[in-house]
Amino acid sequence: MRVLNKVFAGVMAAGVGLAATAAFAGDIRVGITMRMVSENGQAYGQMVMDEIKAINDAGGINGNMIEATLMNDECKSDKGVANANKLIFQEKIHLLIGSTCSSVSLPIVDVTAKAGVPQMIPHSTNAKITQKGSEWVFRIPVSGRYYGGVNAKYVGENIGTKIAYICAADAASVGDCANMEKQMRARFGVEPAYRADVQEKEVDFRSHMQKIKSMNVDGILVAALAETMARALIQSYEAGIGEDVRRIGSSSASNAPVPKIAGDAAKGVFFTAAYAAADDRPIAKLFNEMTRQRYGIHAPDHDFSQAYDLVRIMEMALNSADLNLSDSSLAADRTAIRDAIASVEGYEGLASGPISFCAAPTPQCRDGNRTAVLIGYTKGGENFETEVLARVTMEPDFGLE
Amino acid sequence: MLEVKDVHAGYGNLKILRGINMDVPTGGIVTLLGGNGTGKSTLLKAVSGLIPLMQGDVFFNGVNISKMKPHQRMRLGLVQVTQAKEAYPAMTVEENLVLGAYTRKDREGTRADLEKVYEFFPVLRERRKQLSGTLSGGEVQMLVIGRGLMAAPKMLMLDEPSAALAPKVVLEIFANINRIAKSGVTILVVEQNVRMALILAQYGYIIRDGVIMMQGEADNLISDPAVKDSFLGGSVADTSKSLRN
Amino acid sequence: MGFDFNSLLAFIIFGVTIGVVYGIVALGISLIYSGLDIVHFAHGEMYMFGAFFGLVLAHNVGVPYPIALIGAMILTALLGMAVERVFYRRLTRAGGGYTVAGMGMIICGFGMSVALVNAAYFFFGAEAEPFRANLDYIPRLTFPGDINVPESYVLTAIISVLLMAGLHYFLRHTKTGLAVRAVAHNKDIAYLMGVNVPLMISLIFGLACGLAAAAGVLIGPMQSVQVEMGYLMLMKAFAAAVVGGFGSLPGAIVGGIMVGIFENLGAAYISASHKDIYAFLLLILVLMFKPSGLFGVEAKVKA
Repeated sequence: MRVLNKVFAGVMAAGVGLAATAAFAGDIRVGITMRMVSENGQAYGQMVMDEIKAINDAGGINGNMIEATLMNDECKSDKGVANANKLIFQEKIHLLIGSTCSSVSLPIVDVTAKAGVPQMIPHSTNAKITQKGSEWVFRIPVSGRYYGGVNAKYVGENIGTKIAYICAADAASVGDCANMEKQMRARFGVEPAYRADVQEKEVDFRSHMQKIKSMNVDGILVAALAETMARALIQSYEAGIGEDVRRIGSSSASNAPVPKIAGDAAKGVFFTAAYAAADDRPIAKLFNEMTRQRYGIHAPDHDFSQAYDLVRIMEMALNSADLNLSDSSLAADRTAIRDAIASVEGYEGLASGPISFCAAPTPQCRDGNRTAVLIGYTKGGENFETEVLARVTMEPDFGLE
Repeated sequence: MLEVKDVHAGYGNLKILRGINMDVPTGGIVTLLGGNGTGKSTLLKAVSGLIPLMQGDVFFNGVNISKMKPHQRMRLGLVQVTQAKEAYPAMTVEENLVLGAYTRKDREGTRADLEKVYEFFPVLRERRKQLSGTLSGGEVQMLVIGRGLMAAPKMLMLDEPSAALAPKVVLEIFANINRIAKSGVTILVVEQNVRMALILAQYGYIIRDGVIMMQGEADNLISDPAVKDSFLGGSVADTSKSLRN
Repeated sequence: MGFDFNSLLAFIIFGVTIGVVYGIVALGISLIYSGLDIVHFAHGEMYMFGAFFGLVLAHNVGVPYPIALIGAMILTALLGMAVERVFYRRLTRAGGGYTVAGMGMIICGFGMSVALVNAAYFFFGAEAEPFRANLDYIPRLTFPGDINVPESYVLTAIISVLLMAGLHYFLRHTKTGLAVRAVAHNKDIAYLMGVNVPLMISLIFGLACGLAAAAGVLIGPMQSVQVEMGYLMLMKAFAAAVVGGFGSLPGAIVGGIMVGIFENLGAAYISASHKDIYAFLLLILVLMFKPSGLFGVEAKVKA
């Protein structure tokens, strides 16, 4: 079935490609590929489009309109790469925004590097994304290498060092697990008490939980995508592992489906993220209010905050870039946009700390957001609640070899 | 009892029967004769409803049954006994027989008929708990006939009851068919074994290439030189006596 | 990690509890195969729809879990019967009867699978939905070695066994069951016996889809419910059906349990990151040494 889906998708993409029309000169063309399979995903895709429309309504960028094309990659790397290729070579975009999932963003980095198109990453945390040495990539979220450090520090100092790891096979979770393991080793000299590498969409964790239960660990790291994580959390309680064993979530724990599906099992789970809905800064409160009214979001996670910050940073950069916007200036305009993003410094928005980029194609320069916030669920279910446990800013070199 | 009028039928675009007319009178034994691929099995399927008619009509007791589904025709009392190889090997003998009475609601009558079948074919009673796949060829033939009887038929159509059986067993089977006819069930026997069939039946039809080539009283057909040339060889006198008693 | 007996026991117990669910889905696949000679590729979607029907009944309508289970089985049975009647039967008829239409049927099954998945996206959305069931009245089993088997798994095992027993009784000891077996073996003869063959075919499809729905509703509280859940279940159930001997009903159950145990042991002692492979590894092993499957039989539907 999957295979057939792919065939159909390919045929569809080919059809769309034939139908693509020549782009207008004078517009700034922005292509977006994101995961929009869930309600959340659709809502934040819509938010990005709405924010861009707001910029246009307010007069655009120095009088030029932004023409945005939004595509769905369903968190599938083949679709993401196909989208990126179509946006770059047929739509001739100036700037690519994408993608949500690390496993999709990673291959797209190679596409944009080769084509010379600036790429702004709205959500992916895998540390390798900025370690490929591409001059064209900019990450708005906090890199997994920082998360690992924050998690490890907090866990080691407040919970204990005897930790069981459950690591799912998606790119983000693999990265989160590896970072945590590395940091626990570096900081406290400990290895995982138990480690299970499970499938991306594993449904049955009972055998692992049974083993973990017999080990008397201090905590369990569950690194997995939202639904998988929720299942693992539920099954950890079903196996009879008590509340005194803390559950540590990977970066996906911020996704609303986790508390929604896990219900009571989400309570007490903590994780690091770039944004906390429980943040008490005025800008955060306004943002929470806006997303609730417009998109019916109970509490926005960092999918939303990062997408919002991304549009603001893009707006700043485009405003400061010197653009010709003719057919012949495409390559020069792309370079100008890249350089303008690279010169963004000290942007303060929803992110828990300032975001700065610089020109070198290194992780230090392109992982612009170095401040993570530790969030804990105090209540699960549809109307989940969270609290801020700590806020930590890391050094640019942190977590690199 | 059964009237077949100008029936055309076949499979898909392939027309096999090209205008068949046939009558089976109440209480008689009629045989339909023909070699392989002449259309006799197709005619049987058309009558029982397994394949649709392209043209023509089939009447059973005066009712036009041309448009009926097989199970509906069967409920009228028109019962086809399948070829012996088509017993259900994974079912026991008794399950096969009970299946024959599938459409009947009268438990008493069914039980009585089961007894009757066991009396007809005592060997079936001995083997009733055995899977029918384990029976001998003759026993399976008795089973499918018995299964047909369980439906309390008005008319029984038999599809090559002598196929692949030893002559002695064929004789026994045919004697039983004769007994069934005597009990008041009209019989249509489709056969390749022309000599035996004509001894058993009162009337015969000979089918070739989808048309009735010849028809007549069985005694006349046996002595007809054309039939003799095309089908019969040797003498038939010795066996006729034991069948006709 | 050293070997300890309690862990092994736990893996086997958990393998059995998930294996029976593979088994009841495989049972449906086998039933359809033996009854209609159709390898039903959209059966995973029947499982998925069953889970969603159960979810809607339990959460939106608010009926108790056991009623939701029965309701989902009925609704899915009706859905399956409608799909068979409207789509498959045309194909099988074009194939000259009620059986095989070869490649066309397989493609149609795949197509139906894609269509049903997309219909489900339309009706139910892409989000995984939690299925909360109040199962407090089911005892939680504790095996020696402090192995806890949660309520939902106990319930799953009990209901699966009941369904299997029910199906066995139906096929073996009722007249309609006899007719179903007759249809499974040979539609023409069954017709001549006066069996309403089209009705029995609908019944077979309904039964099989109802079983899949039961599996969906049973799995729901453990794994949450989502549109894409059918694909993997179909693969596991296929593996189970083939391991047990395609078309054999006891084989489907035994195959399911074997797949469940085998993949749990594989995940525990080899590597958990490729858990879904073990089902197929077992499949290949069985096919190598006994190509007809463990319970492979000449005559189909031995129930």
